[in-house]
Amino acid sequence: MTTTPAGPSVTPPSYRHDPAARLRPVNWNRVTDEKDLEVWNRLTANFWLPEKVPLSNDLGAWQQRLSPEERTLTMRVFTGLTMLDTVQATVGEIVQIQDARTEHEEAVYTNIAFMQAVHARSYSSVFSTLATTPEIDDAYAWAIGNDVLQQRCKTVLAHYYGDDPLKRKVASTLLSSLLLYAGFYLPLHFSTHALLTNTADMIRLILRDKAVHGYYSGYKYQRGLEKLSPAGQEEMREFTHGLLDELYALELRYSGELYAPLGLMDDVAVFVRYNANKALMNLGYPARFGAAETKVNPEILAALSPGADENHDFFSGSGSSYVMGKAEDTADDDWDF
Amino acid sequence: MDTALTGGSGTMTTGTPATGHEPVGTRKDYHALNAMLNLYDCDGRIQFEKDREAVRQYFRQHVRPNTVVFPSLEEKIAYLIEHDYYEAEPIRRYPWETVKALYRQAYAHGHRFRTFLGAFKFCTSYALKTFDGGRYLERYEDRVVATALYLGAGDGALAARLVDEMMTGRFQPATPTFLNAGKAQRGELVSCFLLRIEDNLESIGRGVNSALQLSKRGGGVALLLTNLRERGAPIKKIENQSSGVVPVMKLLEDSFSYANQLGARQGAGAVYLHAHHPDIMRFLDTKRENADEKIRIKTLSLGVVVPDITFELAKRNEDMQLFSPYDVEREYGKPLSDLSVSEHYDEMVANPRIRKTSLSAREFFKTLAELQFESGYPYLLFEDTVNRANPVPGWINMSNLCSEILQTNTASTYDTALGYESVGTDISCNLGSLNIAAAMASPDLGATVETAVRGLTSVSEQSRMDAVPSVDRGNDLSHAIGLGQMNLHGYLASQRIHYGSEEGVDFTGMYFYTVAYHALRASHRLAVERGTAFDGFAESAYADGSYFDKYTEQVWEPATARVRELFADAGVHLPTRQDWRELKAAVRADGIYNRYLQAVPPTGSISYLNDATASIHPVAAKVEIRKEGKLGRVYYPAPHLDNDNLEYFRDAYEIGPEKIIDTYAAATPHVDQGLSCTLFFPDSATTRDLNKAQIHAWRKGLKTLYYIRLRQEALAGTEIENCLSCAL
Repeated sequence: MTTTPAGPSVTPPSYRHDPAARLRPVNWNRVTDEKDLEVWNRLTANFWLPEKVPLSNDLGAWQQRLSPEERTLTMRVFTGLTMLDTVQATVGEIVQIQDARTEHEEAVYTNIAFMQAVHARSYSSVFSTLATTPEIDDAYAWAIGNDVLQQRCKTVLAHYYGDDPLKRKVASTLLSSLLLYAGFYLPLHFSTHALLTNTADMIRLILRDKAVHGYYSGYKYQRGLEKLSPAGQEEMREFTHGLLDELYALELRYSGELYAPLGLMDDVAVFVRYNANKALMNLGYPARFGAAETKVNPEILAALSPGADENHDFFSGSGSSYVMGKAEDTADDDWDF
Repeated sequence: MDTALTGGSGTMTTGTPATGHEPVGTRKDYHALNAMLNLYDCDGRIQFEKDREAVRQYFRQHVRPNTVVFPSLEEKIAYLIEHDYYEAEPIRRYPWETVKALYRQAYAHGHRFRTFLGAFKFCTSYALKTFDGGRYLERYEDRVVATALYLGAGDGALAARLVDEMMTGRFQPATPTFLNAGKAQRGELVSCFLLRIEDNLESIGRGVNSALQLSKRGGGVALLLTNLRERGAPIKKIENQSSGVVPVMKLLEDSFSYANQLGARQGAGAVYLHAHHPDIMRFLDTKRENADEKIRIKTLSLGVVVPDITFELAKRNEDMQLFSPYDVEREYGKPLSDLSVSEHYDEMVANPRIRKTSLSAREFFKTLAELQFESGYPYLLFEDTVNRANPVPGWINMSNLCSEILQTNTASTYDTALGYESVGTDISCNLGSLNIAAAMASPDLGATVETAVRGLTSVSEQSRMDAVPSVDRGNDLSHAIGLGQMNLHGYLASQRIHYGSEEGVDFTGMYFYTVAYHALRASHRLAVERGTAFDGFAESAYADGSYFDKYTEQVWEPATARVRELFADAGVHLPTRQDWRELKAAVRADGIYNRYLQAVPPTGSISYLNDATASIHPVAAKVEIRKEGKLGRVYYPAPHLDNDNLEYFRDAYEIGPEKIIDTYAAATPHVDQGLSCTLFFPDSATTRDLNKAQIHAWRKGLKTLYYIRLRQEALAGTEIENCLSCAL
């Protein structure tokens, strides 16, 4: 058996480009970008599963207080969210692994991809708790048959399967920070009005994750952008704004179909613009829409804060603030009595 | 805006009941105004005026247009009785002139809700509504008078005193009392029930049935599991038959969620298990994030009874032995819950006829803390501390849903048809709290305490619990009540004293010292008037006088000048040793009427109504984001907070567990039952930090610990701009 002194080496995704190169295992003892570790720690501490949320407490509101139109809207909004999370879990996060700037970033994306799958599954938990199989099947048929919904996803997928790593990041950040949020509007609105509050607890757990996901992709985009020439940077800026406009227009059409009949579209449109700005901020660009156009209904804005600061009543829900604890043994001194 | 509520509904109400919920597109200005509390204005100041505007808009847009107006009080009362909204009896015990005078007295206070949450909560959860839920039949004053009439039980002078205490906010009955009193369609007025379960199927069946019956009536129910034989224990001498405590927990959890659907208040349950029960780890693991669905417990609350010996074993880093309750009962002739594990520990370890398993005591504490991170549970009850402080005979083995009720109980026995062979005593407790800031401003603090004690006693005397005879019997024999306190942080901040500071702790001790004196004096007066003391008084520490030793042998006075000044300025007399000696002689001669007098509950809802900070906790946030099943998400500014005294409102996470524990430790010696004590940690804490706080609490003599709450800060870069909860 021979040992070679440590020379140049690559992480496994680079095998594609150079099968001859030496491979190295991920080494968390040498972290080159502290942000990777910070985000990893945050994501793992925030791990959760939908089974922990007592969704069945929402059955009363679902059956007795929501009208059929409101129930259909909820099913569709959630199926739309499931579609986006499926795109992210199976493609959007996975394709970013190969572009990672550090080996730890590769690990972070595997975590993000898994949590996106958890999110996609959690909407199903809501369905199976609240709705009947024919209703669920209808909602899925609606998602497959809805052209705008399809186009939204395919626009993003085209860039995921394109060959520019930074364009993948832009597309992913826009999906996480812009497209998803119009779907969150409904449960947040409901919960302010004491409807489906346990579902809202679950959505807040999802939001807690999404805030980190969007931020992280944007952060990594900015690190990549720094390496480009001014011309290259300008090209990316134009690309970003072009894609943003395209997705923004699609989003207004998609959300309009859903929300307008219930009189919510004005508020939702403001919210979409607010989140477009947020996406640009994550990518390091100035806001696209002015303050007057992005004045979000305060009850929704106040509900958005990603910190776990809601003081919930334990007897009607499990809240969204608990995390996996860090175990540490007590020492003899601690027991000095 | 209110079309759905007034009946002329728009397009969206197909399948929606006449009221309760407006179409989703309806923009409610008052919710938006209230939410602005969580967003700074352009000068970085908290927008309190927006919340006051929210109250005005709420009344203008929603409450007033939906309130039924009657031509006169007489017609209103007649209507409410005739249509089965009010019980006739509580009102007809008074001459009509007295009733009218009480309403006049209440309305003369000119009550205004100071916060949107207070107003919203009152209208949503407390006010009497038409049966279709669409229109309000009561204003705040009406609810107060209905409660006073009920508690006064025909005594016009007492009813008048209760109206004043409630309208000034000095005394606030707990939710079940304030919500239900006087209504014809109602649940029970009692807050809490604590039931034993013994090691047989009849008792388990009775336990499930009682849990259903009591939560249907709106009470929180706790059950004792300590005596159930462990998993693998023999049944009818055949080994490996029992499936232990977990399946019983599952039965109870499902029972509570079923009974939920009928109650005006969400039914809720807790179970307590002794730390040295062999199923203890399985019990805790039901709250694990990745537990299997069959054993996963979502909504049932858990409590663990921890004796001193467990701490001592952990100190020595030894294993703790877990004892089969099946064998213990056979060896001692009484169940595990009724003996001191600390006292018998070595004996049980040495007894080969008691089956034992073991685990590292430190690992046990670490597991407790891990679970508290993941779920906030379990509560802890320090068994030996509790029993050392218990003034009446018997052994305390459990607490309730909020860990402040601590009373003795005795077992019942059943025949095979679930009838009672002998009726034991189970525990119930009705609660009510004083607002400390308002009470300190009372013209006569002693009278305020006495009125509160009389009001609470009246609930005990008027409550019947036919469905659960053991609870009924316990109540008849004990007349236990739980006088609580709230708004400690609000009061201290209003006096520019920091929570947990030397002066803050000093005040807490002296305040509780004073309340204890007045509560005992009131209960003594009741014993004289009724001509009877609680059952078991003769064997209590009150009867032999030893309860009073700490007050007659030791001088209690403020340690700081500032606190002396606070009591002097408020005109509150601090009881002297001579006062205590006289009270001791009087109590020894005549007894006291209530077996238990004080218990400090967490006061969620009523502190919002009453404009108080919760219990004797620090505030959870300057502007609290409150989330509840019935309310949704609402923002609540801390009482007494303004843009100039922000520094005195450091929140519970900033203040940290030590100062909270010190504050509770100052109050604990003067409270005969317990105090719900939640500890708050940032998410950077480890299980070791939680364990250290638990050790500190146990050493400082706290009797129980309630939830662990965690706060995670948003990752830098992901906050919402101008958002208070991000910045503070």
